[in-house]
Amino acid sequence: MLSRPEALELIDAAFAAQPLVLTLGGTIREMLAVVGRKPNHLYSLDAMGQPLAIGLGLALGMEGRARGERVVVVEGDGSLLMGFSALSTVGHLRPRNLVAVVLDNGVYLATGGQPTAAASVNLVGVARACGWADARVVASEVEAVREALQWASATDGPILLRVPVGTEQPTTDFFLEDPVVLAREFGDWLQNTGAGDTKRPAAR
Amino acid sequence: MSASFEQRSQAVIDGVEAIDPEFVLHLPSSTLKLVLGHFLDGPGARPDRRIFPIPREEEGISILSGLGLAGRRAVMIFQDNGIGNMLTALLTFPQPYHLPLFGIITRRGGLGEYNSMIHTISERSEALLTAADVRWFQLDARTPIEDWSATIQRGYAYAHTTHRPVFVLVNLMGG
Repeated sequence: MLSRPEALELIDAAFAAQPLVLTLGGTIREMLAVVGRKPNHLYSLDAMGQPLAIGLGLALGMEGRARGERVVVVEGDGSLLMGFSALSTVGHLRPRNLVAVVLDNGVYLATGGQPTAAASVNLVGVARACGWADARVVASEVEAVREALQWASATDGPILLRVPVGTEQPTTDFFLEDPVVLAREFGDWLQNTGAGDTKRPAAR
Repeated sequence: MSASFEQRSQAVIDGVEAIDPEFVLHLPSSTLKLVLGHFLDGPGARPDRRIFPIPREEEGISILSGLGLAGRRAVMIFQDNGIGNMLTALLTFPQPYHLPLFGIITRRGGLGEYNSMIHTISERSEALLTAADVRWFQLDARTPIEDWSATIQRGYAYAHTTHRPVFVLVNLMGG
């Protein structure tokens, strides 16, 4: 079973220069620990239930852009269940450039490991029934995840990948950046730099 | 004599059209019948514009945020009994991240209301938004109908000038 940081490292490698929406504090801190801070990463500090819909808005807003970016949403099972209605809106609108990767550890890890309802929910079946282009459960192994991410990057979406991960929680530093700065860095990268360049923008 | 439902609805349509949104998100509301009809089946249903329903207000706030980050013009149109739904999303993403977004909120409750329950939340719309430090403007019988369209347009501009969500409350029911 992959740990969440291991899965995050694979996701970043597969979409190194694509807009990537990251869910909540624990996932964000672990991504920062494994790949550092990147302007193409939108850090959604505490907007539980929102990342998929935020990613949907980004994907709609970027459809038709020549560069062919994918908008990648990294969600947890608990946050996805909180914003579950977005699955139907994604299926209704079918943005071809949207990839959702659900890192499913079955618990609300940040609040003490209380179980989510995900274990009894067929997330892949729900996504398909809502009209997503495709959805897969991915074996929690490096090569399987790498292959699935590669497939998602080359396939018309919307695509959902459900990746089981362990519940280990490595010690990480708090991330206390001003959200205004986070939005500005990501927005500047999106508008001015775009795919292919993830250097940090110059300080203002 | 105050403006009719049709005149008020047309003023809202004119105001939104002046913004020239590329995306129109909407939730159900009987008082929005004419406004939504313009965008769904009327002249506002343009091939270069995406108009789509959303099931919950907080989801709309998140989609608007993503569209805003992508630099696109978008408007959400919904009813005031959904204000409570959207507050957590609003105050955990676009408000603290200083993202401009814009919505038209139809008022319910008050004189002319025909539902025995909805006033319980609708009459608190302004108080809820104010308590959340969300900027709003009001269009009702006190505002000349000639000013409605321009106020909506200026509300959208104000969201971008001040880098925050802004809403215009519109009373289409005569109040």
